[in-house]
Amino acid sequence: MTTTDVRPRGRWVRGVRRTLTGLHPALESVLAAVVGLLVGAVLMYIWGYDPWRAYWALLRGAFGGDYEIASSIARGVPLIFTALTFSICVRAGMFNIGAEGQMYIGAAAAVCVAYFQLPAGLHLLVGILFAAVAGAVWSLGPALLKLTRGVSEVISTIMFNWISRFLVFYLVAFVLVDPRQAQRTVRIPVSARFPILVQGTDLSYAVFMAVAFSLLVYVVLWHTAVGYEVRAAGLTPTAARYGGISIKRTMLLSFALGGVAAGLAGAATTMGLPPTYAIISGLPELMNLGFDGMAVAMVGRNHPIGILFAALFFGGLNAGGRVMQFYGSNPVPLEMVRVVMGAIVLAMAIPELIRLFPALAEAGRGLARTIARRKPATEEGA
Amino acid sequence: MRKWLGLALVVMLAATPVFAGKVAVVLDVGGRGDLSFNDMGFKGTDQAADDFGLEMVEVQSATAADYLPNLRNLARTREYDLIICVGFLLGDALDQAAEEFPNQKFAIIDSVVDAPNVMSIVFRENEMSALVGALGAMAAAHYGYPNVGVVLGIEIPVLYHFEAGYRFGIDWGNKKYAAVTGTAKPTGLLYTYTGSFSDIALGKAATEAMLAQGAVGVYNVAGPLGIGDLEAITEFHRNKGTKSGPPYYFGVDANQDWLGKAMHALASGMKRVDTGCYTAVKAVVEGTFVGGITSLGLAEGGVGISKFIDLLEFIDFGISAGALRPEDRDETLANWAVNRGTIPAWIWRAVDELEAGILDGTILVPTADTGAEMQAIRALYTLGAP
Repeated sequence: MTTTDVRPRGRWVRGVRRTLTGLHPALESVLAAVVGLLVGAVLMYIWGYDPWRAYWALLRGAFGGDYEIASSIARGVPLIFTALTFSICVRAGMFNIGAEGQMYIGAAAAVCVAYFQLPAGLHLLVGILFAAVAGAVWSLGPALLKLTRGVSEVISTIMFNWISRFLVFYLVAFVLVDPRQAQRTVRIPVSARFPILVQGTDLSYAVFMAVAFSLLVYVVLWHTAVGYEVRAAGLTPTAARYGGISIKRTMLLSFALGGVAAGLAGAATTMGLPPTYAIISGLPELMNLGFDGMAVAMVGRNHPIGILFAALFFGGLNAGGRVMQFYGSNPVPLEMVRVVMGAIVLAMAIPELIRLFPALAEAGRGLARTIARRKPATEEGA
Repeated sequence: MRKWLGLALVVMLAATPVFAGKVAVVLDVGGRGDLSFNDMGFKGTDQAADDFGLEMVEVQSATAADYLPNLRNLARTREYDLIICVGFLLGDALDQAAEEFPNQKFAIIDSVVDAPNVMSIVFRENEMSALVGALGAMAAAHYGYPNVGVVLGIEIPVLYHFEAGYRFGIDWGNKKYAAVTGTAKPTGLLYTYTGSFSDIALGKAATEAMLAQGAVGVYNVAGPLGIGDLEAITEFHRNKGTKSGPPYYFGVDANQDWLGKAMHALASGMKRVDTGCYTAVKAVVEGTFVGGITSLGLAEGGVGISKFIDLLEFIDFGISAGALRPEDRDETLANWAVNRGTIPAWIWRAVDELEAGILDGTILVPTADTGAEMQAIRALYTLGAP
């Protein structure tokens, strides 16, 4: 018995896998999106919704016109920042789950500008600065714990998220509260708001800040010495250290830059999103932007430019998802919309997930091997 | 392929019969499944759509950032005769949307949006809270409990209506008890603003503290926190080894009497969000829609204290939502009857008397909209506080 003559299927599976892993990233993403859409379609079909009309509503709602496109972009803006938080740290070899909490702190800091007056442009800049600094400061907690005590950043950032969540709950309820409208904080004055870019939509000038920050991160990581060190430390820390790179410095730097990004996500939401321009009790306008950002980072392959497209895709999914609920005569309830979105996002994140978690890839390979072997094994037994 | 799909869609749309009208319901992030506020908003609109032959769509919001886009998306289609916003959290978004779409009719529950195309539906929660307060005060005096409690959410003006009415009701109940029995046993009030409409644990903790101070019952004025209130009361009974009687749970918004198989829920101060939505749709259909404030109280059937007929309606509501098993229906009804039987008939008659008085206008229940007004009422009805 030789392996070659009983495992033609094994070779076939290996061949498919090699083809898949050798694909161009963009093609891979498209393939993943198709798989996700198909899974979503099957789910909707099973529960009695017409997938074609639902997807048509999604497409129309996401990119059907100027209004729709602007709404999609607006929905994606904060996600660009929180995705960058995650990606910068991944490039430095760390899993920073803390964007959510850092964003809350950034948003709370931005609201503080309501307590003083400044000329229009300056007021906005001060608010942005507040949020950026607050986000960076909050990210120092987990960073210092890791550098000085070796605490895993995965654990500490998750715990810091809870601390900041309840801290901001407290600030919203007791410190920044609007005495006349106790369900929210004081409103950020007009002089510190991002002007609306497309009238009648949510899209504000915050989108330029998001794109500029993405490009900045790209330049820093790929076209400066510091960025080279960060990426080198992320790829192989031991070799980087042998090469004279201070791992502590790159870690601290990437955490701080990530914190700035998360803080800006808070600023973009509180200062750039009509109509409230305040934090509402329970943080319903901020909740999950940080975690969604991690999915955006995966879909965008942890690359600042990829993230821009992924955030647009995400914003489109969300904006279109709103429309799926009522468009045409095939309304799909929000719960189902989110299941379908989850399927699409998961499918699109899988290639990057496998890359990030070698164990996952190994499990996948093991599964492929098992599938490949099962048939011949039963034939042998018979 | 896509072009073909678009064509197919156009053909399909052209083939569908034109409906007489369309209404949309927009919910806040709380969404469906709360068995209370949001579900009632859906229920009332659905009922109205059925009765008047309208098409209805429901739009939920995944985050607060969806409020304004949802309203704009619907208004832009120019297809909806009415867009109903369920909950005051949508107020800011509607403020803006109403201005952007002056020809679109809107309605909002529980908030006031000052625009000619918005019907703001508010409730006189003070009226039904007075009934619950009177019931609680007389029950406390009857069983020798010193206090009656209320657990509230975030300190917003809407909740002042509840507190003001509750205070008035307790005071009324104290006087009534003294007049009927000849002995004055004034019941005190324990109240807590938890600062949350979502943290169930806060409701439980606040209720436990009140039960320790001898509260005969706790009125839930914080939506989902009532689950925690009822849990604390149920545990108290379990430790004491009792199955009915005090301490009681007083539900809010929906008829919550059936919660926990009606073991300890004595009555609910109902705020009929469904009636509010129905009223708005009816006004549009009948052409009587006007912007401005529509206030619903006992007289309009907008608020009330729970009766047997409401219990039947909401048990079916709970069963259809999967929150109550159909086989528990009879047990729930039996428990409810036993628990209600622990209150003497004269107290129930006294509550009816207060209700009749409010209805015919001989009894005026005070209310409060601002912190200052609330302070004045707290000073007027101190209820045991120094």
